[in-house]
Order: sequence, then structure tokens, then C-alpha cells
Amino acid sequence: MKRPPRILGLVPASGYDALEEQRAKAESRAGKLAQQLEEYRANSRVWKTKAEDALGELRKAQEATAAAQKQFRQIEKQRDEHSRNAQKLKEELDKVRRLQQERAAELADLKQRLAESERDLVIAREQLMAIEVKLDILEGAANVLDGRTRELLTRRSGLGTESGTAV
Amino acid sequence: MEPQSDAGTAAQEPAISIVLTGRNDDHGVDFRTRFFRTLRFNAEQLTAYGIPHEFVFVEWAPPAQRPQLIDLVFDAVPGLDRGLCTWYVVDSRYHQALSLNPRLEYHEFIAKNVGVRRARGRFVLTSNCDVFLGRAVLDALAPGRLESRVVYRAQRYDLKETVGERRLEEAVGQRRLDETVGQQRVAWTDLEDPENLARPPRALKAPFLAGATGDFLLLDRESFHQVRGFNEIYRAARFGIDRNFLVKAISSGLSIVDIGGPVYHVDHAGSYHLAADAYAGRQHEAPWGNRDWHSRGVSYVNPPTWGLQHAPAQRVAPGHWFLDFSWDAVPPMVDLRGVVIPASRVGRPSPGRYAPPRSE
Amino acid sequence: MMSGGAGPAPYLTIIATGRNDDFGGDFNGRFFRALHFNHQQLVAAGITHEFVFVEWRPIDKRPLLASLLADEFADVSSLSLRSFVVDPAYHEALSLNPRLQFQEFIAKNVGIRRARGAFVLTTNTDIYFSRGVIARLKETALEPGVLYRAARHDLMSALDVSDIGWDVLEDERNCEIVNAIRPPLFTNASGDFLLIDHQTSQQIRGFNEVYRVAKIHIDGNFCMKAYVSDIPIVDIGAPIYHVGRGTLHAMRGMYNARPGDAPWGDIRWKSDVVYDNGDGWGLGFAPEREIDRGTTFLAFDWEAVGPMVDLRRVVSAGLQQEKAL
Repeated sequence: MKRPPRILGLVPASGYDALEEQRAKAESRAGKLAQQLEEYRANSRVWKTKAEDALGELRKAQEATAAAQKQFRQIEKQRDEHSRNAQKLKEELDKVRRLQQERAAELADLKQRLAESERDLVIAREQLMAIEVKLDILEGAANVLDGRTRELLTRRSGLGTESGTAV
Repeated sequence: MEPQSDAGTAAQEPAISIVLTGRNDDHGVDFRTRFFRTLRFNAEQLTAYGIPHEFVFVEWAPPAQRPQLIDLVFDAVPGLDRGLCTWYVVDSRYHQALSLNPRLEYHEFIAKNVGVRRARGRFVLTSNCDVFLGRAVLDALAPGRLESRVVYRAQRYDLKETVGERRLEEAVGQRRLDETVGQQRVAWTDLEDPENLARPPRALKAPFLAGATGDFLLLDRESFHQVRGFNEIYRAARFGIDRNFLVKAISSGLSIVDIGGPVYHVDHAGSYHLAADAYAGRQHEAPWGNRDWHSRGVSYVNPPTWGLQHAPAQRVAPGHWFLDFSWDAVPPMVDLRGVVIPASRVGRPSPGRYAPPRSE
Repeated sequence: MMSGGAGPAPYLTIIATGRNDDFGGDFNGRFFRALHFNHQQLVAAGITHEFVFVEWRPIDKRPLLASLLADEFADVSSLSLRSFVVDPAYHEALSLNPRLQFQEFIAKNVGIRRARGAFVLTTNTDIYFSRGVIARLKETALEPGVLYRAARHDLMSALDVSDIGWDVLEDERNCEIVNAIRPPLFTNASGDFLLIDHQTSQQIRGFNEVYRVAKIHIDGNFCMKAYVSDIPIVDIGAPIYHVGRGTLHAMRGMYNARPGDAPWGDIRWKSDVVYDNGDGWGLGFAPEREIDRGTTFLAFDWEAVGPMVDLRRVVSAGLQQEKAL
């Protein structure tokens, strides 16, 4: 646009240039702002999408958390049950160990008594053998003496007969 | 200890006394033949090996109606050195006086005690009249090789009845047989040929090394006297008395060791091994007594007069003694204190064991 | 054999009693074997000792065991032996129970009273000392005022002891029973080993001579006496050995139903009571004369026999006794 003549005397030329400059700058700035706005809008859409996504994710996460919590509670419950069972088992184990110790002590006692009985048996057998051998000797001696006595009596009765003496 | 002999001084003390017992009674059918040929062999070998020795022979209760072995032996075995022989003939009355079993025909181990007590050798070997000494045994008998307080045992190899025998009775008839008695010879080849074994030899098992024990028991004289010989307390059997000696030995702290080689015995009719089954079911009638008495479990302490210490000895001829009868020499009929439980000794095997009666 | 009584006092007096009566079968043989063994061990360990044998109530027409003992050990020059033979009349005079055949502990008192050793050991004729006992004696570190005890190991009856040595005594296979001893009194076969210093033995005045109705448990009663007299009783830490479980054990069952008839007296007597022997304890006032090598005869004299009954000598030891029981 041609500058209105100054003759009309409306705006000084320097002022008009300044205003023109300002107008250009404002237009440029407006353009930039519009562009920026557009960018922001685009970003906003992106962020909105992202936010929606994030929200979705959040919801999912919340659901997962809830599910995990539920599972956690279940596991806790199981854990408690297992603890109780473990405790029971421990008590059972302690009982078994006590029984084992008692059995071991009994076994040791039985072994000791068995050893003593075996010892007594050995001693008794040795004494018995000695007694049986002594009995053999006594039996033999008795039979020999019996034989000698009979021989003697026979001889005596024989002598008595020869001499006519009554027997 | 009062050994009696006309032979030798302390300087000539033999290294080994070999104590044997027997009599002219045809024990095992042809006792004389077997005895003389064995005696010839052993005497020759002992001399060949240079072993200073004496034979101590105890002729127990010889039958009156037969010549005594002392009267036959030097003709039958001409090479036998009289100077190396001491002969004890024991009055027959001792047999009855000592008997606790009328079925026992021979008190083998009391007879051996008579010999052991009077033996002069530093070591005393009790054996039997038909036991041949093996080469390893002869090597071991060399002076200086034996140790005191050790009972030496030897495995017995049983040989077939016909070993070393010419069948003279088939060839020449009885009269010629009598003349040639004692001239039968046995050679090492007869003894050592595995083909002549009658049965596989029984191994000697520690700690007792029992098995035909009476055929080879070698011990130093001092230890033999310490234990007072074989069991004279139990006289109801002669079976097992040799085994019982091993119980006494371990109980007395002696060791029992294999001498390292065998002795040899030729089977013959009448030997225990072949006759044992004849008395199955009627052990009480057997001439060796009850096999099941506790010979492995009990021990004994003989009186100090063991071996007929107080029997009056009459010298009949050089090296020939007659032990006359005297009740002073007869131990008590019953001496129950002499029946003892064998003592265990720290570090040594248990001396006694319980063996249940074997089934008939 | 040395006839004791001369020379410096030995460290140990060993006292035993018996007579020639074949008690328990072959009494003499068992006695001599044990004495030979113990003496050899004591000599080998260098322990000066004397052996005091008291023959109580010897049997008429039999050789004195004291003489047989002297014969047996005539060639053992290292043995210091003194024997005392007690007139048989003392047995009758002292008897409060005709069933008692032998007053073992009064006999031992005869020996205790006349002992010369710094320490006095009363034992029995068939007891073998262990290596541990010999070792303790060898230390010559026994304490005065202490009663020493030892557990008796009984070897099997009828064991072959013809050649006895440590290897037989110490082999557990030969041991039938261990007579364990426990505090505070350490009784149980105590008569087989009571070792105390000479001065204390004289202060206590030996075994109970007040109660003469039984001889069983007189040894345990001595332990009680020591205990209530504040004499510590100690296990010497080593055993002694005996062959067989003893005649008492063998015969005890026969008298279960009639304990009063037993030849050792009634086993049920109150053996925990305490006593004070009189001045004449151990036949201290009996006239003595020598009759053989090292053998002294205690002739009978009523002056040596205390009152038949002396109840004031049965005393109460009070709290000490209650603690022990």
C-alpha cells in the first residue's frame, strides 16, 4: 500500500513505519503463536492420548494391584496355614526325636543288658562245664569203686563158701 | 624234675626228647610193624640232620603173655642207638588204679606224662609211634631254632594204608613176615607223594591249631613242667586230652605256633579216624571214652606228683627202667579242685570255648 | 623269711587272719599264692612292709597255719613275717553267738594293736593287690587320718590261678563281678581292704568288739565308725582282686529263711550303730610268749577278756550318722 500522502496529514511517516513494523511483528507473532497453538493443540492431543493411555494403564495397574493384593492376601493366608502346618510338623518332629532318643536310650540299655546277659551266660557255661566234668569224674569214680567193691564181695563170698562159713 | 637216665651228663643233654608210648598188643592190628619202621625212619633222619636227641619210651601196662617192646626193638631196628633211648615199663596195676572208665584200654597221656617228667631234653616232643617227622619239622628241630614257652604244632598228613609196605604177607607168609618186621622201609617219596594222601590234610586253625594234636606237641621242658603235662584229673576219657592240653597252654600264657611243615601218618585199621563211626550212638562203649566231654572248655591243675612221680623205679638194664606199683604214686581217685576254668590273659585269645555235644 | 619285730618300722603292715581248717577249699594254698604274689609286687616296688598273721581258734591236732606259713616262706628272706596264735579259749570266752565259728575281726584287732607299720592294712588271705594299689603305696604319700578303701573285683570261681599274673587279674573276661564302692561310706566287701595310718587305727581301737553276736557287716560298721569320727573315707582309686565270690555269697541263700542260724550271725543286725572298744581291745592284755620262728602265742587270761556285755560302749553318733544313712 502506498503510504497515504502526508498531505492528508494523518500519521507521520515514522510513526506509520513503526506501526507497520509493529503490525508485521504482531502478525508474525500471531502466526507463530497460531503455529504454536496448533503445535500445542497437537501436543495436547498427543498428551491427551498419552494421558488417556496412561489412564488406561493406570486403571490396568490398579486392577493388577488389586489382583496382586488379592493374591497376596491369599498367599498370606496360605503362608499362615503353612506356618501352622510347619509348626505341627516341627512338633511332630520333636516328638519323633524324643521318641528316637528314648528308643536309643532303651536300645543302649538293652545292649548293655544283652552284653551283661551274654557275659552271665559265658560265666554260667564255664561253671556248668566245670561242674559237668566234675560229675563225669565222680560218676567214673563211683563206677570203679562199685566194680572193686563187687569184686571184693564176690571174692569174700567165694572164700566163705570154701571154708564152709555161712555167707 | 628228676629225669632218670644212664646216658650222658649235663654236657650231653639232648636238645630234643621224643616221648612215645605203646605196648606189644597189636593195637591197630600191626602195631609193632608200624612202630619199628617209623622209629627206624625218625631215628635215621634225626641223626642225618644232626639233631642231638633221645627217645623216651613208656611201655604202659604191657600184656604179661607177650614179649615187651623193649625186648624186641633193638633187634627190629638194628641201627637204633641204645645210648639214645630210655625205656620205662610201667606196672600194669597202675592202669586199674588210675582208671575212671573200665572201657579205656590205655592211658596214653598219663603214660606220656611219665615220659615227659623224666625227659632230659631241653625241648620235649610228645608224638605217637606211627608218626613220621617231615623235613620241615626236622629243619626246625635244629639246635637254637626253637623258642621257649611256645607249643609247636604240626599238621598231620594221613597217607593210604599201603604206603611203604611191601605186601610181605602175601609174598612170604606169616613166619617170614615176623622175621622181617621192622625191616620195612619208608622213603621220602612215599611220604611226600601227593598221590599217597588218603584225604586232604586238615588245616590247623589259630589260635589252637588243633587236629591230631597228640601226634605232635613240642614244648620246652621247663614249660611242660610248669603246666604239669597232660590232664591227669579227668581220666574218664582219653579222647580230647590232647586238645585239652592246648586249652591249658593258652591259659598258662604259652603261645601255640605251627612249626612250618607236616608230619605223616599211615592209615591203619583201628586208628580213631577210621573207627570213630563204629561207636556212633553208643559213645559210652568206646575205648577212648566220651568224645563230648568239655575238653575245649575246662582246664586242669595236676597235682605236683604228676607223671607218677613217686613210682619206685627199678633199673633193669642201662636205659631200661621198671616203674613198680605203689599207691603212693597214684593220685587221688577224685580231685575236683583240679578241675578249673581256664584263665584268660590280656592280649591273648580266650582259652576255653563251649562246644555243644555233637549229634550222634 | 625275717621274723619281724626288730629293725626300723616298715611303711606298711598287712594284717590277715585264718587257721588251718581248709575253709573254702584249699585255704592254705590260696593264702600262700596270694601272699607270694603280693609280697613280690611290694618288694619290686620297694615298699617296706611286714605281714602280720593272726591265727584265731586253731584246730586241735592240726599243724598251726602259722607254722606252715613259716615253712612256706622260710626261704623268702625278704619277707618280714610275724604271726600271733590266739588261745582257742578266747573264742569261747568272747562268744555271744555259738554259731560263730571264727571271730575274724577280733583276730584282726589283735594284729592292728601290734602293728608296727606307719600304715595298717587289714585284708584277707586270698586278696591280690592291683598295680594301682601298689603304685599308690609306692608313692608313700598316703595321708594320715584318712581311711582308704578299694573296690574288690571277683574273678570267676574255680579259675585256674596256678600261674597268676597281672595278665590274668586284669583280664575282664575273668571277672565275674565288681563290688562297687560309693560315698559316703564306701562299704561293700570292705573287710578286704581297709587302710589307715597307725595312729588313727589305735585311736579308733580297731573293729567293733562290743557287738559279738555277728561277724557279718562288722567291716561296714568300721566304716561307719570312721565316718562319724570325721575320718574321710576315700577310694584309693584302684581295685583288689579275689578269686570267687566268697563263701558268704555262696552260702547266703541257704539262710534266707532263717538268718539267725547263719554261721556269720544274723545279717539283719543294726550294723550302723557306733561303738567304743574298751582299753583291752585286740586282746591287749593277753600274756604273750614266743612259740616258733616269729610266732607269738597269746595265752588265755580272763584279764584280757572284757565284760560279756558292755552296753555303754554302744554309742550314738547323732547327726553325722544320720547324714551317712
